[in-house]
Amino acid sequence: MAASLRVSLNLESPIPAYRQIADDVRRHLVDERLKPGDLLPPIRQLALDLGVHFNTVALAYRLLADEGWLELKRRRGATVIARNAPRAVDQRHVDHLLRQVAQIAAQLRSAGMSSRQISAALRRLAEGGSL
Amino acid sequence: MTSAFWSLVLLVTVNTLVFHFMPRFSRPDILFGVTVSEAFVAGAGRKLVSRYRAIVWSGAAGALAIGLLLRSLHNDSGRGAMLMPAVMAGSVVVAHVAWQLARRKARAHAVPPSDVRVASLVTRDTSLPGGTLFAVGPFAILLATALIVYAYRNDAVDGRDTANPFAQLALGAIFVTMMLTMAVTMARRSRQIAADGPAAAAEHRFRRVNVLVPVLVAYATAIVMSATTVESIPAFGGILSVRGWIVMLPLMLFGFGVNYWMFRVGQGGQRAVAPAARREVRGDATPDHAWIFGVYYVNPRDPAMWVENRFGLGYTLNFGNWRAWLLIIGMMLIPMFAGHLLSSGG
Repeated sequence: MAASLRVSLNLESPIPAYRQIADDVRRHLVDERLKPGDLLPPIRQLALDLGVHFNTVALAYRLLADEGWLELKRRRGATVIARNAPRAVDQRHVDHLLRQVAQIAAQLRSAGMSSRQISAALRRLAEGGSL
Repeated sequence: MTSAFWSLVLLVTVNTLVFHFMPRFSRPDILFGVTVSEAFVAGAGRKLVSRYRAIVWSGAAGALAIGLLLRSLHNDSGRGAMLMPAVMAGSVVVAHVAWQLARRKARAHAVPPSDVRVASLVTRDTSLPGGTLFAVGPFAILLATALIVYAYRNDAVDGRDTANPFAQLALGAIFVTMMLTMAVTMARRSRQIAADGPAAAAEHRFRRVNVLVPVLVAYATAIVMSATTVESIPAFGGILSVRGWIVMLPLMLFGFGVNYWMFRVGQGGQRAVAPAARREVRGDATPDHAWIFGVYYVNPRDPAMWVENRFGLGYTLNFGNWRAWLLIIGMMLIPMFAGHLLSSGG
């Protein structure tokens, strides 16, 4: 497991803390920086380090476990599991995310980016690259 | 009277030296318990520290002058010796006032806490140094002593003036339990502030050393309790005859060594880290407003039970955490248990 694996939490963000944590961990999972068999920090440890309630981290881990990324075991904490086939997705959730992407694309166009530039940036991000 | 005066000189000197170096104990961007920029510490903060030290040393000089006066006025009476503790307390109060005044000035330069918190997703080692077997050692020592006492129960001195040896060992076991509880909670319920890199490694080392201290105190307690208990058995009295300094000297050397090392590296070991490596870390990830007088940390919203001390070296309890209060109450109950156990065993 790489030493630079981090999760960050912006207290000023309107996004709930558990979602920020889940989003960061998911990013590492998608990019395969976290691999099957890797052990995540115990809920209490991560909560202490981030200065949030234990339930906040527990909720984030539960979310990722529901998505099929993690296996939660009492005392052993959270383990990354192999996610061979995409899980049955909630279409409503996917539609909601796509609507958010559409809103962001509109904001980017209004900020002066061309459709081509937006497409290229999205493709780069989708393929695991960075901005 | 003379010995009281020299005791005063020693205590005032030690106290003054501790307060003199107190600003040096903190993380590089914490001054008088306030999170500030390192640039402030290196610039205007130095003037603040000089003024603070001037007050601390003036207080010490005043205390020693009063001590000398008392010595000359009450040379042959005990009244002067009785007043010496008050003089000592006065120098401590002056040092504290100097600290609070400096803290008030530093607060004007406080840096707001970062909105972004970062943590590592790499599991860190929260076990006790030496592992569980090493931690069980003090209990094994006490148990072995209990077995020896039981085997020689007919030889043991059994008079009204002698404490029950088993009660003494039980007391030792309670104290050892408390020390190990402190060590375990310090290892598991304290925050890792830097996420990774040299700053995180230094912080981890610092925490491990701090965790080791109560474990070794538990060992020392078990050894002292066992030695004094076994000595009460006539068959062993001549063989052991443990002298206090044999136990105390290594302990004092260890204590001195740990304190010197912590002084060198500062809180969280951050003074031993290159400034570039600790750039991402601001303060100790606790809000300034939760530090009462810059000494007591009271933050019910913080899940950490132990936090880095801002007034001295090592860790302090978060007094807003109910688990911390369980530990405090446990520590307070020890003397009560001691009294009960030792009196019932007489």
